[in-house]
Amino acid sequence: MAMTLTIERVMAFMGLDVLVARDEGLFAAEGLDLRIAALPPDEIRSAAEGTPRTPATNQGKLMARGEAEMFQA
Amino acid sequence: MIVCGALVVAPTSTVYTPQELAGRPVALDYGNGTAYAGLQMLEGAMPRAAITTCAAPTSPAERFAGLMRGDFEATVLQEPWITVAEKAGCRLVSTTFFHGTWIAVPGVSAEAYAALLRALTRAVRRINADKRRYVSYFIRDWAGHSEVTSLGPDDFNLGRIQLKEPGPIPESEARWAWEWMASWGLLEGAFDATAQIDRRLERRAHELASI
Repeated sequence: MAMTLTIERVMAFMGLDVLVARDEGLFAAEGLDLRIAALPPDEIRSAAEGTPRTPATNQGKLMARGEAEMFQA
Repeated sequence: MIVCGALVVAPTSTVYTPQELAGRPVALDYGNGTAYAGLQMLEGAMPRAAITTCAAPTSPAERFAGLMRGDFEATVLQEPWITVAEKAGCRLVSTTFFHGTWIAVPGVSAEAYAALLRALTRAVRRINADKRRYVSYFIRDWAGHSEVTSLGPDDFNLGRIQLKEPGPIPESEARWAWEWMASWGLLEGAFDATAQIDRRLERRAHELASI
């Protein structure tokens, strides 16, 4: 039975390795069902809404509510 | 994955060095790694009191647009927007690199993490063997943005695309990052390695992942 891991969405600038591993079947070859979860568009906040000490980041939101197990910071 | 961040000014800017950004507004996407990289580049060039920042959108497309409109003097960009900016005549006044760091819930198993690490290690080796082949990934992230979709693989500076096989985070680097953020008031309390890093899980996963 495959192991499952859900991570928050990555983009090439910080997750090229993840995207290539997914597309080339490298996770599957390791018996890992890697799922990539994205925040619904209406929940995405712009960093422009934040301040240095109270940033409006989207990172970790899905993990905080149990919908992802990992994210890349 | 290693992320490249660059402080970028518009083609018409009179700024050529990071020091010349003292007292001028630099747009940062607060809360993101690129913003912290931008702050560190500025800090290396001037006293903290001279650093002047303003809030910028998370999207580098919007930061690039704001830069070209003259909304601020400089901003921090990542790929493929560094390449877009250079093509538009913008100047990079500083570049830096930083690790993307995985954050996990406590329940992730060593076996699953090891499988992730093995797959990422193989991906890193494939990409490093032929980076040019994979730069299309930077373009496809931005479908609908003509500045990006008009780029070709040869436009990219491969020196800015760096990948390193995953490894344990050195405690010293984690401590420095924590203490630096605390010095800016972004974190409170003292660094506690045992609270931040599950070394037993990390060690077991990396042992299992060894290829």
